[in-house]
Amino acid sequence: MKLRFRGQLDRVFTIATGLSVVLLTLVLLAILGPMVYRGSSAVFFQGTVEFRKMQKNLFGRGDEQALHAEVAETEKVRQQVYEMIDAFKKGVDVEALSEQVRQIHRQFGQDLRDRNLPAGEYTRLRELTRQIRDKLEAAFRSQDINEIKRLVGEVLKDESNPQLKGTSAEKLFAIARQFLQAAGQIDLGKHQEYALALQEAEGILFHSEALPGLLGPRPGEPPAPLVMLRYGATRWDQAQTLLDRFLWVEHWVEEKPGEPLVLQRKPRAELFPEPLRPLFTYVEQNAGKMLHPRRTVYWQFLRDDNVNSHYFGGIGPEILGTMLITVVGMLFVIPLGIISAAYLVECASDGWTMRIIRMGINTLAGVPSIVFGLFGLAFFVLFLFPLLGFAPRPCILAASMTLAVLTLPVMIRASEEAIRSVPATYKEGSLALGASRFHTFIAVTFPAALPGILTGVILSLSRIAGETAPILFTGAVSLGAVPRSLFDPTRTLSYGSYDMAVGDRLGMMVPHNQYGMVVTLVLLILILNGAAIMLRTRVFKKLRGH
Amino acid sequence: MPEEERKDMPTSVLKNDITKPNVRTTTFTIDGRERPANLAGETCTCAVIHSENFSLHYGSKAGVQNITMDIYPCSVTAIIGPSGCGKSTFLRSINRMNDLIPHVHTEGKLLVDGHDIYDKHTNLVNLRQQVGMVFQKPNPFPKSIFDNVAYGPSLQGVRNKGELQNVVEQSLRAAALWEEVKDDLKKSALALSGGQQQRLCIARALATKPRVLLMDEPCSALDPIATGRIEDLMHQLQSTYTIVIVTHNMQQAARVSERAAFFCLGELIEYDWTSKIFSNPAKKETEDYVTGRFG
Repeated sequence: MKLRFRGQLDRVFTIATGLSVVLLTLVLLAILGPMVYRGSSAVFFQGTVEFRKMQKNLFGRGDEQALHAEVAETEKVRQQVYEMIDAFKKGVDVEALSEQVRQIHRQFGQDLRDRNLPAGEYTRLRELTRQIRDKLEAAFRSQDINEIKRLVGEVLKDESNPQLKGTSAEKLFAIARQFLQAAGQIDLGKHQEYALALQEAEGILFHSEALPGLLGPRPGEPPAPLVMLRYGATRWDQAQTLLDRFLWVEHWVEEKPGEPLVLQRKPRAELFPEPLRPLFTYVEQNAGKMLHPRRTVYWQFLRDDNVNSHYFGGIGPEILGTMLITVVGMLFVIPLGIISAAYLVECASDGWTMRIIRMGINTLAGVPSIVFGLFGLAFFVLFLFPLLGFAPRPCILAASMTLAVLTLPVMIRASEEAIRSVPATYKEGSLALGASRFHTFIAVTFPAALPGILTGVILSLSRIAGETAPILFTGAVSLGAVPRSLFDPTRTLSYGSYDMAVGDRLGMMVPHNQYGMVVTLVLLILILNGAAIMLRTRVFKKLRGH
Repeated sequence: MPEEERKDMPTSVLKNDITKPNVRTTTFTIDGRERPANLAGETCTCAVIHSENFSLHYGSKAGVQNITMDIYPCSVTAIIGPSGCGKSTFLRSINRMNDLIPHVHTEGKLLVDGHDIYDKHTNLVNLRQQVGMVFQKPNPFPKSIFDNVAYGPSLQGVRNKGELQNVVEQSLRAAALWEEVKDDLKKSALALSGGQQQRLCIARALATKPRVLLMDEPCSALDPIATGRIEDLMHQLQSTYTIVIVTHNMQQAARVSERAAFFCLGELIEYDWTSKIFSNPAKKETEDYVTGRFG
């Protein structure tokens, strides 16, 4: 009975441990899976024609002729969008129309002066267009369709005037006729409203002052100062979001007083009168044809520099900076850690000084990393560098040294354990053959402790590559040139993703880049660790003689 | 041996005069093979290791006290005794391995080849090359077989590959391991069996060409067959080397040694021909121990 109970207990134990392993794996997958999925979208995604345009212009990639053909094809579809908007504008945007009319009037005056007409003639013609101008402006301001009809009718009477034929003033009549036609179809009381709504819709469709739009700027428009405004949605997922914003208006409505506000969506088309509504269905149906989404592998993400704070481009300099800081940091950590550990194990006495030092090392391992950051700034950057004759400014070297100090306790502890666990018989055997203590350490103890020391290397490597706070003040920047020497500051993956998360509004618009950075960091650490683990396994096998 | 020194020896030793060539005429049989009772006694009669009132203390605790004995070349000397009697301590004193333990201090004299090894001018490297040691547990380094054996010579400054190869082969042959490992000298020593590892350790000790080989219970971690091979090896080696073996196994002491010393509670009780120790010991304690009445 008792034996059976024990057997069952064993089985329960086996099942419980197995389950916990499965659970751990699931949790890991649950954490890593979405991150990797979202991060990989920085490289694998549906790129639009705008993406290819951007790649061609900013990075010089892609076939120029194919791109031209593609752009022409999409422009053909887009043309109708432009036309619809322009036609509508003629009846709605009275400010723009007034400005246009005034412009034509001025231009006409200029033309008249150039023609050197007799003074009387000049005054007469000028007066005529002035009247036309005033009537048109009155018509634009008017909210009564009959009055508009009357005013425009009066204006159009002068169309047959031979003295205006063939001059720049002739354009006024076209404007007048178009306005009359458009004005007949809209609610005249809502001019202002329509104009604002159209401005917003155009902002989403083309681009606004600060945000890129769905299709990018209209052809012929002068290039925007911000590079990101010069292209539409480069990614299909981005395009979908913008399309959604274009088609729907969201606002918070108070349904009952005192209750929380409720988000309501209604079609943006409803904001506009009948003549513009087909625009929305057209854009919705032809978005694909206007943007040509295509499966894209943008592996250069890992190589390119970014454009406009990571709106476009990749994370090449960040990867380089992370590797540099990690490698230089490890160059400090590995020898210092091993030597300290060797001293602690092989030479140090057990006095109270050593006990204090040991305690110090253990305590250091638990100090918050930001403290190390400030220490690095105060000691390396502001104290040590001027002392050695270097410029006291944050740089890779200072960052690496700060990170080295941060991870030294880990390295020392791991190496100490490794060296301590080498069987004493190895040392005895070596000493009995006449070797000195130093030679024994180099030739026997160290190789035997190597697997354990490599564990320390793995631990500190991950720490160094991933830490943000210690390099905040000692060598990391969010933007800047690619470093040319160890005395330059650098961008890193860890600091870059931190910066995108807290400081950068643009970063939020391109979450795939942020995830891409984090996933690259994780992969980089995994690769470095994988290499170290493989090395450790090889050393271990060699030591074991398999 | 000078007369003054003899006076300090235990009376039993003086009576039988173990400095004289072995008078034993019987032959030993190990695994059915025969060997002459004495191979070396004719020529080697002066002591290689001379201990005079040698004491060693761990802090205030005594390890061994007032050991006075001579160990003769080209023979196997066994040190037997109960656990904690100081036999290993004495053995490790001969190549100063006790130095590794903190707070050790010694009194009296311990001469190897006429040099006081506890003199402060003693070159430890030279001493340990002269006095090789094989430990209780096989302790090959986690290196290849070749590197294990070549460790000692390369410490002495031998860099020439060919020379090293020669030394390695000779040592492995001397340790009766060559035939088994000659094809994979590059293999890790840890892949060998326990018995092979111990023979490798012997080869490693022999590679520095020592005069004395100290063996601290070399077979206690091995099975009887591996033990037999090590014992065979000792018989072969005793013609060239002075071997001191500490063992718990009295049959083994009887089989392999010519002379035997019985230690108890840190003191040397009796030191005589092995045959005498086991058949007709002079002291009651020895008799109790070898007949199994002790403890």
